[in-house]
Amino acid sequence: MRLTALEGEGVALHLGTRRYYSVSESGLDLLDALTAPRTLEQLVAVLTSKYEVTVAQATDSAREFVEHGVRTGVLVVEEVP
Amino acid sequence: MTVLIFLLRRAGWHHVHGATARDPTGRGWLFAGNSQSGKSTTAALLASRGWAVGTDDVAFLVQTDRGVEAVAQRATIALRPEGFALLGLAGGTPARGGQKTAFFPEELGGAWAERIAPQILVLPRVSGDVTRAEPIRPREALAELVRWSGWVLLEPALAQEHLDLLNALARQVRSYRLTLGPDLFERRDLFTELIP
Repeated sequence: MRLTALEGEGVALHLGTRRYYSVSESGLDLLDALTAPRTLEQLVAVLTSKYEVTVAQATDSAREFVEHGVRTGVLVVEEVP
Repeated sequence: MTVLIFLLRRAGWHHVHGATARDPTGRGWLFAGNSQSGKSTTAALLASRGWAVGTDDVAFLVQTDRGVEAVAQRATIALRPEGFALLGLAGGTPARGGQKTAFFPEELGGAWAERIAPQILVLPRVSGDVTRAEPIRPREALAELVRWSGWVLLEPALAQEHLDLLNALARQVRSYRLTLGPDLFERRDLFTELIP
């Protein structure tokens, strides 16, 4: 994954699928965090530390982001042992 | 061409699918888009109006001390029959198995611009409607530049450099979506009227 930011938004390149995505500022934050494996709780913490959102709102956003990433082949979810 | 793009990329020259030109006041223009977007007809039209034209199709972006510049591949402007007819041209050299007619910018009354510093990014599309320009934000321009720089998605070792270059270019230019209509051929200074 390669990222670049502009005006609080950005573009993400996924070199594996050779697709690119326009992403929001919070999406860039999540993708930046996901350069290493993260749990959903860690992604929620990324959002709550930067934005004025509740844990419930951040959880919904992070879950939706991850589900979209999985559907498009950009992200892979594994169970934590 | 693929080999050239591959090699130049290693020297920091990154391909963009676009036409380049310099207007009579010295401003650099980059027209990014596919082969049906009107780039070649526009390049020929601008050359016929005295602009310096670099390329109608293949340019290489490079970071310099002065910002991002676009270096043109020296080649003829290859017009389809429709573009040839619209411009009311005569002569030229048959190209692409006779499907197109080719001109160097000098043959059309313009000059060749080896490199330009883009100040204006245009995303053209052909329409039967009136020519009009719609400004777009840098972030939208960045997404379009990625679209027309397909090599950015290849070769992981060079992708970030290429992407950063497109980001710098999106910040450097004013960007417009330009709908190209038939009135473009009737009004000599329409480009600079719409994009002053």
